[in-house]
Amino acid sequence: MTAGHSQQNAAVVLLFIHVCFSGGYQLTELQGLCHLCNGTVQNGTAVSQFCSASAGLIDGRCCLLRKENVRDADHVIGLDLSNCSLSRVEDLRDAFNATTIDLSLNPIVNLDDSLFEGFIQLANLILPANLVCPGGNASWDKVKVKGETHFCEGQKDICNQTDYLSLNCPENSLCVPYGPGFFQCSCVEDFRGYKCLREGEFPIIQVFGPLAGSTVLVSILLWVTQRRKAISV
Amino acid sequence: MSSPCCGFLAQYTHHHLVAFLLTFFSYVLLHASRKTFSNVKVSISAQWTPSVQNASSPAFSPGETWEEHNLFADSDGATLFLGVLDTIFLFSYAVGLYMSGVIGDRMNLRYVLCFGLCGSAIVEFVFGTLIEWLQFYNIYLYCGLWVLNGLLQSAVWPCVVAVMGNWFGKSGRGFVFGLWSACASVGNILGAFLASSVLKYGYEYAFLVTSVLQFAGGVVVFFGLLTSPKEVGLCLESETGLRPVERDADSHRPLMSDEEDEEGSEEVCDGGYYTTRQGDEELRETPKAIGFCQAFCLPGVLPYSLAYACLKLVNYSFFFWLPFYLSRNFGWKEAQADRLSVWYDVGGIIGGTVQGLISDFMGKRAPVLAVSLLLAMGALVGYSHSPPDQVVNAALLATTGFFIGGPSNMISSAISADLGRQEALRGSQEALATVTGIVDGTGSIGAAAGQYLVSLIESKLGWMCVFFFFIVMTGCSIVFILPLIVTEIRAMWRDRRARTHKL
Repeated sequence: MTAGHSQQNAAVVLLFIHVCFSGGYQLTELQGLCHLCNGTVQNGTAVSQFCSASAGLIDGRCCLLRKENVRDADHVIGLDLSNCSLSRVEDLRDAFNATTIDLSLNPIVNLDDSLFEGFIQLANLILPANLVCPGGNASWDKVKVKGETHFCEGQKDICNQTDYLSLNCPENSLCVPYGPGFFQCSCVEDFRGYKCLREGEFPIIQVFGPLAGSTVLVSILLWVTQRRKAISV
Repeated sequence: MSSPCCGFLAQYTHHHLVAFLLTFFSYVLLHASRKTFSNVKVSISAQWTPSVQNASSPAFSPGETWEEHNLFADSDGATLFLGVLDTIFLFSYAVGLYMSGVIGDRMNLRYVLCFGLCGSAIVEFVFGTLIEWLQFYNIYLYCGLWVLNGLLQSAVWPCVVAVMGNWFGKSGRGFVFGLWSACASVGNILGAFLASSVLKYGYEYAFLVTSVLQFAGGVVVFFGLLTSPKEVGLCLESETGLRPVERDADSHRPLMSDEEDEEGSEEVCDGGYYTTRQGDEELRETPKAIGFCQAFCLPGVLPYSLAYACLKLVNYSFFFWLPFYLSRNFGWKEAQADRLSVWYDVGGIIGGTVQGLISDFMGKRAPVLAVSLLLAMGALVGYSHSPPDQVVNAALLATTGFFIGGPSNMISSAISADLGRQEALRGSQEALATVTGIVDGTGSIGAAAGQYLVSLIESKLGWMCVFFFFIVMTGCSIVFILPLIVTEIRAMWRDRRARTHKL
């Protein structure tokens, strides 16, 4: 075995370890949310129905998008945390792409305002009866209370609402929905940068190419006609 | 017999033209980059502050686009800091002017000029473009860079005036310098157009373009500038050379002097316009550079410096704050306000040229200045009451620029050249750059103090009081040159009486 070959081996090993660790880190994050409490997705709940309908993979309390063997935080499409004896829900950001979330039958006192910020796909939210739908009733198509649970269904596009007249995005930006009761102002096409102030792409070559060329030409011309005959004074 | 016009031009060679153009454009580029800063004030202020919202509404999201930068909590703080930057720049420019004039008279003008142009270009690049690309906003860094910029830029003006003084003698100096001193205003116009056309890509590109242009200008100057006719073996035409209007007794008297008629300067060249003087060069001693205090004590330097301090205050306040005033007071967009502010400079160009020409014909400069400044006070009153109509505003701006910019250009160029080459020096001392440095340095101190006062008065009392302050300053500058006006008018009466006696 030559030295080069052993170097290659070392590189492969290092790469393998790196992939394992990074993959493992995501795995532990996911495990944190999906295994927040014991048990798995109950049969007959909204999440399980949704999961079987979309052919998802059940892992602990999460329903994951079946995408080969990659387990990614992006792919939590359903979350069932019902009956978990949770008194506080702090961070659900790993499930930001979820369509259905179930938090019912938990002794939660109140929800953080920004808990569901960024949850653009959320169409079905089940909460304990004492809690209000995030963004108010006006942010949802259908709100109903059934016994101990509160159902919030169908996120409304806040940007289309006529009663939210104060939603004026600054110049060069448009309103895009960003979760129930949330919106973002993202730059219009071709505008970019801080406060969407910058438009287009500066043509560096077209400006500085001719400039450099003409500088060289003029310098040569002037040196020939002026300074070549200069005597030092 | 050739007309006086052709005779006037015949004494100039292509070397004169190149010297004129190179010095003209190097100062144009310098002023263009200075103007860039004032034209992007609104954009820079937006870059430094978070988005403004009513107290009740939540902040915009995403934070990176709308809230992240808070070098200043709101635009008022940013405006105040921009005023501080202007003041810092002018103060260091003034200090640098006092030094650079002295340096320029002692060292090779070409090297100093090139160093100033290129160095300042690099600093401006770091200030406007690099900081933005690195997203590293820091108050102390901005201040330090702008101090350095002021010091480097101060090297340029005394050198260009000295080079022009070397190449262009007394005859027609008022007209040539009047035309040439349009360089500052042309630079403002160029800077305004460059900035407003590149602003949409981001203010950092405005700085990039003007600083690269300035650097290129420095390179061209290094390779092409001849600092004086002596470098190619020519000599400056004698003081008794052809002048556009012949007057018997006056033709031998220098344009600016309250001393007795001297025999004529002791230039080595005599008769004819150009003689190659290789042989006699060694016999003539190289002129010594004048000391700072001596230059300060030359007759006419002090009153003109003080008058220029008041005048430059008004001129630079318009220069630095006009786009800002237009967009805040009338609500016009920044690019529009930039284009409108060009009219002030147009008025200044025409004013400098026309008044220089008039003062050449009259043979006296101070009376022309006095009349123009009196009319300027009226123009300022008129402009302060301008209606929000863009055309009327532009016309009033041009008029104000004519009456203020004209004397300002004249004092900083033609009169400085007069002072630096006057009889008192007997041609044996190099004082041109030093005197120019003193006059412009004092002017810059006045302008620097004024910037702070302008932003203070505006925030406490409003724009009307700012204009009133300008009128007072214009009046003060007339007061300072009053002794000179009196002397020159008396001399004019004397001549007129002498001539009527002869007839």
